[in-house]
Amino acid sequence: MSVSAIPQISLPFLMGNSLNAWSDALAGLTISWFPLGLVIIAAIPLVFIALYALTYGVYGERKISAFMQDRLGPMEVGKWGILQTLADILKLLQKEDIVPASADKFLFVVGPGILFVGSFLAFAVLPFSPAFIGASLNVGLFYAIGIVAIEVVGILAAGWGSNNKWSLYGAVRSVAQIVSYEIPASIALLCGAMMAGTLDMQQINLHQSGPYGFAHFYLFQSPIAWLPFLIYFIASLAETNRAPFDIPEAESELVAGYFTEYTGMKFAVIFLAEYGSMFMVSAILAIVFLGGWNSPLPNLGALALYDWTSGPVWGAFWIISKGFFFIFVQMWLRWTLPRLRVDQLMYLCWKVLTPFAFIAFVLTAIWEIYVP
Amino acid sequence: MSEYFNNIKTGAVTIATGMGITLKHFFNAVKRKGDAGIDDADYFRQVDGLCTLQYPREAIPTPVNGRYRLHNNIEDCIGCGQCVRACPISCISMETIKVTPDDLAVCGKTSDGQQKKFWVPVFDIDVAKCMTCGICVSVCPTECLVHTPVSDFSEFDRSNMIYHFGNLTRLEAEAKQRKLAEVQAQAAKEKQAAAAKAATDKAQAENSGQ
Amino acid sequence: MQELEVAGQGSVRVSRKDNDVVVIEKDLTTEEMLLSMGPQHPSTHGVLKLECMTDGEVVTSAEPYLGYLHRCFEKHCEMVDYPGIVPYTDRMDYLAGMNNEWAYCIAVEKLLDIEIPRRVEFIRVIVSELNRIASHLVAIGTYAIDLGAFTPFLFCFRDREHILSLLEWASGSRMLYNYIWIGGLSFDVPADFPKRLKEFVDYFRPKAVELYRLLTENEIFVKRTKGIGIMPADVAINYGWSGPMLRGSGVQWDLRRNDPYSVYPELDFKVPVPDGKFSVVGDCLSRHLVRALEMEESLNIIEQCISKMPGSEGFDARAAVPKRVRPKAGEVYGRAENPRGELGFYIQSDGKSTKPLRCKARSSCFVNLSAMKDLSKGQLIPDLVAIIGSIDIVLGEVDR
Repeated sequence: MSVSAIPQISLPFLMGNSLNAWSDALAGLTISWFPLGLVIIAAIPLVFIALYALTYGVYGERKISAFMQDRLGPMEVGKWGILQTLADILKLLQKEDIVPASADKFLFVVGPGILFVGSFLAFAVLPFSPAFIGASLNVGLFYAIGIVAIEVVGILAAGWGSNNKWSLYGAVRSVAQIVSYEIPASIALLCGAMMAGTLDMQQINLHQSGPYGFAHFYLFQSPIAWLPFLIYFIASLAETNRAPFDIPEAESELVAGYFTEYTGMKFAVIFLAEYGSMFMVSAILAIVFLGGWNSPLPNLGALALYDWTSGPVWGAFWIISKGFFFIFVQMWLRWTLPRLRVDQLMYLCWKVLTPFAFIAFVLTAIWEIYVP
Repeated sequence: MSEYFNNIKTGAVTIATGMGITLKHFFNAVKRKGDAGIDDADYFRQVDGLCTLQYPREAIPTPVNGRYRLHNNIEDCIGCGQCVRACPISCISMETIKVTPDDLAVCGKTSDGQQKKFWVPVFDIDVAKCMTCGICVSVCPTECLVHTPVSDFSEFDRSNMIYHFGNLTRLEAEAKQRKLAEVQAQAAKEKQAAAAKAATDKAQAENSGQ
Repeated sequence: MQELEVAGQGSVRVSRKDNDVVVIEKDLTTEEMLLSMGPQHPSTHGVLKLECMTDGEVVTSAEPYLGYLHRCFEKHCEMVDYPGIVPYTDRMDYLAGMNNEWAYCIAVEKLLDIEIPRRVEFIRVIVSELNRIASHLVAIGTYAIDLGAFTPFLFCFRDREHILSLLEWASGSRMLYNYIWIGGLSFDVPADFPKRLKEFVDYFRPKAVELYRLLTENEIFVKRTKGIGIMPADVAINYGWSGPMLRGSGVQWDLRRNDPYSVYPELDFKVPVPDGKFSVVGDCLSRHLVRALEMEESLNIIEQCISKMPGSEGFDARAAVPKRVRPKAGEVYGRAENPRGELGFYIQSDGKSTKPLRCKARSSCFVNLSAMKDLSKGQLIPDLVAIIGSIDIVLGEVDR
């Protein structure tokens, strides 16, 4: 088996465009009994998230917020402060790992873990390129929506386990918020799934590919798709606890919400999970409404822009840049808007987003039936 | 119902306005305000763009009349002690020794020609206590005590925050003290002698009168 | 005003409408929890401590605890001579040092009966109005941060920086000025100061508009503040409120207009009060609006002062400064309109000493904060934060 794995792994570099070729080959790679390929597949999103959180997530957010606020941002560590996040991580590593004396030790320790795992499990079904998807599930989208709910358990464990009143408030608010916002988010994604006729992430992307680039994206195929697109974007802000829906960690009200008591690496893990889910929701948004790894550039006669910018590596480039764009919008919103109140948040969810999501759902169904 | 849709509309419009403003600032980030001081004529020339400065390397200059670190030009100090009395938080401590008549020339004059009558062996300012109110400066008769525009004078050791301006070393001060004591003792003796003499003269005069 | 006893009734969210207490929301009674907010909490503006009883998110009662920043100002004044107190007044409301100094100097000058040169009065008006803008910028900026908007806060501080630079140029110090002396000023302003001031006014006007569009008009901000913490005018007067808090409740009361001092009668300015169109009169948004509009009025006042100010020829800022302040025996109460309300100094002199026998400060923040208990009943925790922010307390002045 281990011998036959080598030609298998060299194949996908030649057969670039066949679906899931790289990831299937990688999954088959085992050394004696050890499924090395599966481990690598699992590691790729982890490494990607670590790199992205390091560079774009933390450093990028600090710089973007700084520029929006007429500041310079980090400038001291390295040229333009580019190594600032490394310095932060070194600092966090050196921090004493404090478990408060009155905390529930088990829940306190396990909370960040669940949170982290919850935000990373969805990466399994994200198609990073035409030839790479961690697990090509036929219920990929459903899985991605569902698995995120695990985060709630982690947040509740962290908030309750801290035995701190502010943490408790943060946790309870967060649970109420995430559970509520899953409804408009799921319905909005269902509209996309309805247009594709499948829940398989790769298939949804394939449905949106074509020589006219962006014109094949669902957002531009049907005008109705803008509604679920906006609804999911707003709901995803709430699901990732980003401003203006950051009430679970509202620093001016709840000090730091459910992670008030966390220090050192446990804090870093919570932080990483937040950035992980930020990318995750942005990627889902890109996949369902904006063609995922498809190039947005159209073929214009002799200028075959679409053909030139398609392929496994280009695919990874496109989906990551689309994801990053939405993360930029998330940051942009965060550094512009005040925070909503708890009851206003619920009002927005139940009285605005959910009815509109239902309307979008019905309209999409009508569109799919009557418009060819 | 119309209120419901109006709410959504104003929400969307105002959020878009806000986002436009922050995006404008984001694109303005290629410009920087620079480190023009307030007394520069072009202080308000560049108003958009980044306004932070990287402090130790770039700094907005403090104006010349800035009131920060206290400094005493001890050559001009006549040791009157007005500043010590005026200071609301007593951050100045001062000891003076009267100058003996033969030392007046050595002690010298202030820059405006006033004869100094006191040695000032101790003139300590605890700048860590100083609240830069400027009251001591306003009462100083010779304008030797000034606030300088130096605003950054942090130290690692608190004792370094006590600035010593005395114009005599301790040995010198002791010597001057001894000298003054001698002179004063001499003067006292002379005075006593004179008084005794006067008394005897008076007694004699009284005796002779009788 | 109708009172509603909400303690022990479960989560009852209340608001006020036409002087009546209205229940907006009622939930099952659950176990009450004691929540100690502060003294180290991001939104208590320093070291205020609020002991809240909460039922879920609803605060059934909140008790403010003070004194964490008590520095014996009033007792200390009895140990320091009259001019030496001026730098201490800076340290009360450290965001508006000039206004504090002025209020104190007004009191002592009243006691001494000194005639103040005209140029001194204009410079005093200019620096204190500048400081009023700076103080309102901090109030608006920190209010934004209380409600979760970080960017307006930094825009406010960017503009405040220019004001601090201007004041540093005039007085030599950035926050704790000791610029206004009894009977005069410590220095005349630099020669270019009026020109730079004009440039600042021209610079700041569009920035204030931008701030207004970014923050005040924002729907989320309006939703967070409109109808929250409503204080009817009569109750506000009974509590002794003053300044933007009282004007936010619709009472047109400004000491610059109602008890004019200095050259304010010659200056043309409006006293902004909310008209109830954009906000509910007396709520947090009204108080915020009053501050935003007052900045505009301060700019107008500064512009008028620049044109009306007598020239600096033959001017001595210390001409009327008494060599030795030893007032006749007696007592005096001098007051001035601070950014936070009426700051008054009650001074008693025994006629012999150069130190006051008694110096009592009537702090506007302290009086405004006293309504906290009433305002916070039956509010959500985020609303509590919004209410504290709208009171705009400076703990240095509350505790003194």
